[in-house]
Amino acid sequence: MNLVILSFILFFSLSFFFIGKARVLRLANYNIKNLNSLPEYYGYYLAAWCALPALIILFFWSIFELSIIKIFVLSDFKLDPTIDDNKLNLIFSQIVSIAEKKFSGTIPQNLIPYVEKFIALNKIIELSKFAVLFSAIILSLIFAYRQILKNIKARESVEKIIRGLMFLCATLAIFTTFGIVLSLLFESIKFFTSVSIFDFLTGTNWAPGRAFVRDASVQTANVENVFGAIPLFWGTTFIAAIAMCVAVPVGLFSGIFLAEYSSRKFRKITKPLIEILAGIPTVVYGFFAALTVGPLFRLVGEKFGLEVSSESALAAGVVMGIMIIPYVSSLTDDVINAVPNSLREGSFAIGATKSETIKKVVLPAALPGIVGSILLAISRAIGETMIVVMAAGLAANLTLNPLEASTTITTQIVTILIGDQSFNNPKTQAAFALGITLFFFTLFINVIALSIVKKFREKYE
Amino acid sequence: MSKVEKIKLLKKRYKAERRFKFYGILSVCLAILFLFILIINIFSKGSGAFFKTEILLNIKFDEKKLGLNINSSDKEIQEANFEEILKDALLVLAPKVPELKQAELIDMVSIDAALEVKKFYFYNKGVLNKIAEVPLTLSDDLDQVYKGNFPRDIPEERRRFSDFQLKIFDDQISKNKIVYKFNWSFLTNADSREPELAGVASSLAGSFFTILVCLILSFPIGILAAIYLEEFAPKNKITEIIEVNVNNLAAVPSIVFGLLGLGVFLNYFYLPRSTPLVGGMVLALMTLPRIIIPCRAALKAVPPSIREGALALGASKVQTVMHNVVPLAMPGTLSGTIIGLSQALGETAPLLLIGMIAFINVVPATPIDPSAVLPVQVYLWSESAERGFVEKTSATIIILIFFLIIMNSFAIYLRNKFERKWS
Amino acid sequence: MRFILEINLRGSGRDMNEKIKISTRNLSVFYGPKQALFDINLDLVENKVTALIGPSGCGKSTFIRCLNRMNDVIDLCKVEGSIKVDGKEINTKNTDVNLIRERIGMVFQKPNPFPKSIYDNVAYGPRIHGLAENQEILNTIVENSLKKAALWNEVKDRLNQPGTGLSGGQQQRLCIARAISINPEVILMDEPCSALDPIATAKIEELIDELKKSYTIVIVTHSMSQAARVSQNTGFFHLGKLIEFNLTEKIFKNPDNKMTQDYITGRFG
Repeated sequence: MNLVILSFILFFSLSFFFIGKARVLRLANYNIKNLNSLPEYYGYYLAAWCALPALIILFFWSIFELSIIKIFVLSDFKLDPTIDDNKLNLIFSQIVSIAEKKFSGTIPQNLIPYVEKFIALNKIIELSKFAVLFSAIILSLIFAYRQILKNIKARESVEKIIRGLMFLCATLAIFTTFGIVLSLLFESIKFFTSVSIFDFLTGTNWAPGRAFVRDASVQTANVENVFGAIPLFWGTTFIAAIAMCVAVPVGLFSGIFLAEYSSRKFRKITKPLIEILAGIPTVVYGFFAALTVGPLFRLVGEKFGLEVSSESALAAGVVMGIMIIPYVSSLTDDVINAVPNSLREGSFAIGATKSETIKKVVLPAALPGIVGSILLAISRAIGETMIVVMAAGLAANLTLNPLEASTTITTQIVTILIGDQSFNNPKTQAAFALGITLFFFTLFINVIALSIVKKFREKYE
Repeated sequence: MSKVEKIKLLKKRYKAERRFKFYGILSVCLAILFLFILIINIFSKGSGAFFKTEILLNIKFDEKKLGLNINSSDKEIQEANFEEILKDALLVLAPKVPELKQAELIDMVSIDAALEVKKFYFYNKGVLNKIAEVPLTLSDDLDQVYKGNFPRDIPEERRRFSDFQLKIFDDQISKNKIVYKFNWSFLTNADSREPELAGVASSLAGSFFTILVCLILSFPIGILAAIYLEEFAPKNKITEIIEVNVNNLAAVPSIVFGLLGLGVFLNYFYLPRSTPLVGGMVLALMTLPRIIIPCRAALKAVPPSIREGALALGASKVQTVMHNVVPLAMPGTLSGTIIGLSQALGETAPLLLIGMIAFINVVPATPIDPSAVLPVQVYLWSESAERGFVEKTSATIIILIFFLIIMNSFAIYLRNKFERKWS
Repeated sequence: MRFILEINLRGSGRDMNEKIKISTRNLSVFYGPKQALFDINLDLVENKVTALIGPSGCGKSTFIRCLNRMNDVIDLCKVEGSIKVDGKEINTKNTDVNLIRERIGMVFQKPNPFPKSIYDNVAYGPRIHGLAENQEILNTIVENSLKKAALWNEVKDRLNQPGTGLSGGQQQRLCIARAISINPEVILMDEPCSALDPIATAKIEELIDELKKSYTIVIVTHSMSQAARVSQNTGFFHLGKLIEFNLTEKIFKNPDNKMTQDYITGRFG
């Protein structure tokens, strides 16, 4: 429906572009010099006035449409004190899916009158949307048309609109961050009303599956004990640490070699090759870890009499480390290249070998940049999802043994939210609480890393 | 220090030098080795999926058994039952087989074999009452045996195929009735529970729609935002906040965007779940900073003399930027956008959260039909137990990587060919 | 203040038929906290070439950039004082800078043709200002502008080739053609020959002589001989101040100011 309206608006504004252009030309007796701006700008002016108010109305209408319908449809339920907000939402989403004929399973009979009410309301609102939009277009067009006949400075007006539009697009970045924080916060706060934040951050038992069983046989007290996120934090840190053990030495030495030793030709070929590692989708690494590296480690482990589970922190960590190599190597390479040559020459001039120069002069100078790049790589590792989902397992173990399965924040978010989740239970909300933890944690690391790198750049550029 | 000691020390220093250099080479080689292992592993596992084994079966298209005649309408053919003539033809392979083994015989061909017979008849109506040689897809297990992915010599009870099936299969091979050919159906079929029938068409279409939505949203918004920040933004607090936000969003874990999509798009706006529309929107938010950053770099690279030249002619700021600066920044912007989109194409985690993980056995026709995307298909199939899906998963990865290579080479080409070096 | 008085006194002794095209009064420019120009009072005569000379960093470029409000482009730059074009104040917030720049064209130090075809380079201005109602008129404008810039014969067969492919001198003449394509009243030239070889420089100088018949020209130059060759009036800037302004002949033969004398005879600069 909205798509139809959108194409109508588009069609209208396009035609009014030509109408406006033709009209001012006639107004100016076909002599452009009589006009304040080029005739196109009058066309754009009319088209913008035709489309923008309508689009703004349509946008806000679409946002509030459902909430308004919801208030009316659910007014009866509101009177019932036994139904809380969560249940209301559930009922409403059922009504919507029945009305859209997407409901699977038997339709609850008691909802049918409300479904009818929903459909009727929807129709009214849809019609009034049409009417409002249409009159908005007509009104703004009349206004704009009159303005055109006054031979206004159309270019300036159009440019103001363009600038406004650009500003709006730029602020989307702010809105996205707001959206992330608000949506995460909203659900997390609900979560923390049923589970204390202290238990969440310090508890060592993670078994959200049991929170689902909330009938009479299990005490509700259970809900609070099963959301201890320490094993997840540990698993995340542990796997990220394993990954860094692979990525840092390999990445660092590769970066140093590419920047200091390799010939230009060798570098031109190998650098993009290494960077391919970062371009491969993470799900591919996950598949590789789960089907090749995991079984391989188990096979090797068996030979040495070790018990390796098929989903191990080691397999996930090593593969993640491989993925992260280019993040470390490329940034190291850039950072080392930014170190001024005069430093190297000073060291060579007193007879130091290349490696001594690198170790004693270049690396210390490049250290802040390297630290920044490693921090960025760590934040990548912490936020990485698919590899751990596919290869690290689900068991929330608080273990130091890399050969056992381990689970991470991201894995748990995915497992909780995959499939049919009914919203509004602590288990689902827990995913958002984990999400906000992840968000702020990575944000923290990123801010530090970016400021270190920026300071380093400013020093040498 | 004596001369001898000095030489000794020098030797030691040179040794350290060589060692250090060796570590460097070793690391580079290791990184490249990992890449090759990964690629070879995937290709060796997946190339088989592009081929399939078929059995040439002599089927008698019996008028009575089909209930059709020469003038039957297409609808009647659609409704006719081809199972029986298929079963008859299969029984010919092993005459006098006990009742019990008949099921095994039928299991040798794919579950959709009767459909294939029907399709064959549809295009060759002249075969009514005649015997024709029809190519039928073999079951996945025998397909894997043919490709050598299943060892034959393990005990029967640990195999997914019986000795009886194997015997008939070998018999048919010796009669040249087994053909091995390019597996078009992998590219044209939608997802299926049966490995031999599963194809990537549905997830290909899903990926296409998702990336399309992502492109339509992120490209114009990203460019406009970049132009604003680089050319128009006054130096004030708001601009600074926007810039910090853009840089940080580029480093936010992708799964967080999935949570945003779930919390806002699905649960607040009630947008349709599991659809490329929502997937594209989520990916667009994720791609946005990845477009803004290279676009700003490209705008920055346009020398100020171009702007001054246009301004001095009396062009307004907007005209100057739109006519003269943006076209010059286009190559850099486009290559940045393509790289951003290629990252979006390989993205999995946020899409899992907005429900693009459902089993979809039809090819989606619009962006508001539920669908999967290529990387999610990889994830879904990798969780399946059947041996045949491992091959399919790797093949899907090959297709995914194929698209990524095309996109990235195009981006590199654009950059090398059109990007101007300003002196 | 003493200089200003002298200049004004001497100015009044000039030919009374001369029409003042642009006049500045108490024009000061600040880059952030740093003052770059101090109270410049200067009158530019219509259809004459005015040369501005002085050591580098003395503010002469800053000065001519004020005349078409190009300093607006620089964030920190603040322009105070009065600039009148044909008696009308242009240094106000309400002035349409685009209209000013349409009337007062500019040629830059380094040739900066757009990376477009030669034709589009010249046609750009007329297009955005709506000077041509149809293609034919546009073609004529382009041809005339290129002819006036003495470039037509060299490029008439390759109008569709990129302007950036021309030689340095040709590029600069293309920029001049671009500037005159919108028929400005004044052309500001900011060291137009500094990036060119002597032959190209001679060509541009010839061109300036030709152009002054229809335009008022202000040229900033490093080369005193160039100023002497092409200009009728000359102003000498030093450390952001206008030291002396007079007829070119007078400045070069018998300057009033000791500093001008020193500069011209090469004692500093």
